[in-house]
Amino acid sequence: MTAMAELLASGGSMEMVKAAFDNGADAVYVGAKGWSRRRAEYEMDDARIAEAAGYARSVGGILRVAFNTLPSSFEVPLFLAKTDGLYEAGVRDFILTDPGLMMALKNRHPDTVLHASVGCTIINVQDALFYREAGASQVVAECRMDKATMRRIKEEAGVGLEVLVHATTCYTLLGRCTMSSYTRYEHRLDAEGKDHFPGSPNRGGLCYRICLSDWDRVGARGEVEESGFVLPNTAYFRADDIPDLLDLGVDTIKIQGREYSVPLVGEMVRFYRDLIDACLRDRAGFRMEPWKDRMARIVAGRDAERREKTAGLISESLADADTPKTH
Amino acid sequence: MQGFELVASVASPGEFGGTDLSPYDAVCLGSPYCRRVEGNFAEALDRLPETVSLLHDAGKRAYVTTPAAPREADLPHVARLVDAAAAAGADALEIHNMGVLRILREKGRPLPAHMGAYANVYTHLAAGVMRDAGAVRVRPNAEVALEEMGTIAREGRVEVELLIHGKIPLGVTDRCFLLDGPEESDPKCPAACREERWLTSRQWVLKTVGKGVLSGRDMCMLEHLPRLVREGFRVFRVEGLYENAAYRSEIGSVYRDALSLAFAGERYAVTPGWAAAVRRHAKRGLCNGYYFGTAGRKYVGTVLQNPNSGV
Repeated sequence: MTAMAELLASGGSMEMVKAAFDNGADAVYVGAKGWSRRRAEYEMDDARIAEAAGYARSVGGILRVAFNTLPSSFEVPLFLAKTDGLYEAGVRDFILTDPGLMMALKNRHPDTVLHASVGCTIINVQDALFYREAGASQVVAECRMDKATMRRIKEEAGVGLEVLVHATTCYTLLGRCTMSSYTRYEHRLDAEGKDHFPGSPNRGGLCYRICLSDWDRVGARGEVEESGFVLPNTAYFRADDIPDLLDLGVDTIKIQGREYSVPLVGEMVRFYRDLIDACLRDRAGFRMEPWKDRMARIVAGRDAERREKTAGLISESLADADTPKTH
Repeated sequence: MQGFELVASVASPGEFGGTDLSPYDAVCLGSPYCRRVEGNFAEALDRLPETVSLLHDAGKRAYVTTPAAPREADLPHVARLVDAAAAAGADALEIHNMGVLRILREKGRPLPAHMGAYANVYTHLAAGVMRDAGAVRVRPNAEVALEEMGTIAREGRVEVELLIHGKIPLGVTDRCFLLDGPEESDPKCPAACREERWLTSRQWVLKTVGKGVLSGRDMCMLEHLPRLVREGFRVFRVEGLYENAAYRSEIGSVYRDALSLAFAGERYAVTPGWAAAVRRHAKRGLCNGYYFGTAGRKYVGTVLQNPNSGV
């Protein structure tokens, strides 16, 4: 039985939020400035989030606000104050990673809807159950999770399941990597007192993607065994899997991409909307083949934008600045 | 003198043998990175009773680690590992994955949990959730600074373990980077990760252990021990995984002496012998940056920052 699934798209700006909804997204996620897994230029301040939430309501969609970095204990009061403010503005849907913050927010506002972020690295059913007990009603599957595990989560965990179909897989497990901050890591406080932790994707969102630098593998005596390779951090598309994901009853199909251009995000959302709708209209007769050319054009556009950004990030990481901690 | 605990990580009988464990108060058995590590104590469950007994007879506590990234197919083994560690009389289970923590809780907490380096403890609230699920000790993520750790301990009401020496865990995956094919059929497994291998790029050096990425430089807190004592920390780890026996033995000896001096409250200074030992084993240099709020590969301090400086 093929079920409806929500299409969740990225909102890196107000313009992108509108483009995503206008092209068929059911829900859009945005990052609270300093609190999500992207750098500040792709996040929104509270006023913009309230505006985006209003737009979502006007088109019958859902706006989810990501607070999915792992902050400092010192920042917990600020987290509670900001989420209180957004709650007052009508926001009910949040994406979190820290299980302690999840419990705190759920206890404070029991009617909020919490999703456990991809940063939780949920790789088995017991993980999903843990985050359900922490307050999450939906969990994001780790990028390489197999369908058998997805099925078990759906059957046994009692939570919604979200699957990324258009993203990148990190070399290490996403959410369990500190390679970027090992090379460069700073502390930059904004006007609200939030540390943006530049260099740490887990804490502040900015990852320098050093895995995509040119690496040599060197043996114990300094001999080069292999040179000039990048660590596996590959673009990742599960468009082919969408019919199976729908059959599995996956609740949300997610497209990443806050850092991409608005036209590209709009094109991606429209593609996945059309594909999902076609599959739902005629599951038995659905074939992927006619969609491949359109998919290839999107992938090419995405890869070109990503290459340019990655080169800039690696170059930035080499600047090697260290700002003294200001707590 | 206040007490402290110095913990070593030892993956297998091969690492256990030849290591002088006398400097250590506790040993954490097994590798969290890969179930296929030869002799992995967390895999070869029949070895646990004898090894735990050996450690207890020597007056040491015995902890057993669990896989850092267990897929669904690994969970039946994890459940057996929990039972085996408890039956062997292990003093605690080191846990990195929240699902494993939940399994321990569902089994009625037959032994306490120590949350490991990959458990992503960043806040006292997360530590509190894990405490309520059975954790009595946490090792905060490498990125957490010293001043944050104090808050995690106080507000989270858990013991905090600090890495004071060794490679910093930077990443974990479930696909081996050292193999060409599936691990079940690639002839290079399980020998590949026994060899020392580094990843170098620009000014960066990392150590690869197949399914894990470690810092190239060795975390070293030797010159800062008096501060750690003043701030109330008392549990310290020397990361001995994927190192040789001399590393575990000699670094352990340095820190046993240094911590004893620091906890005695006497005048503290890094001795030339200690400095020579840590430098001898740090092939790619020393670091301690995260603890002081800078990039992990940085070294903050005035005594050991320059490999050529005297002490």
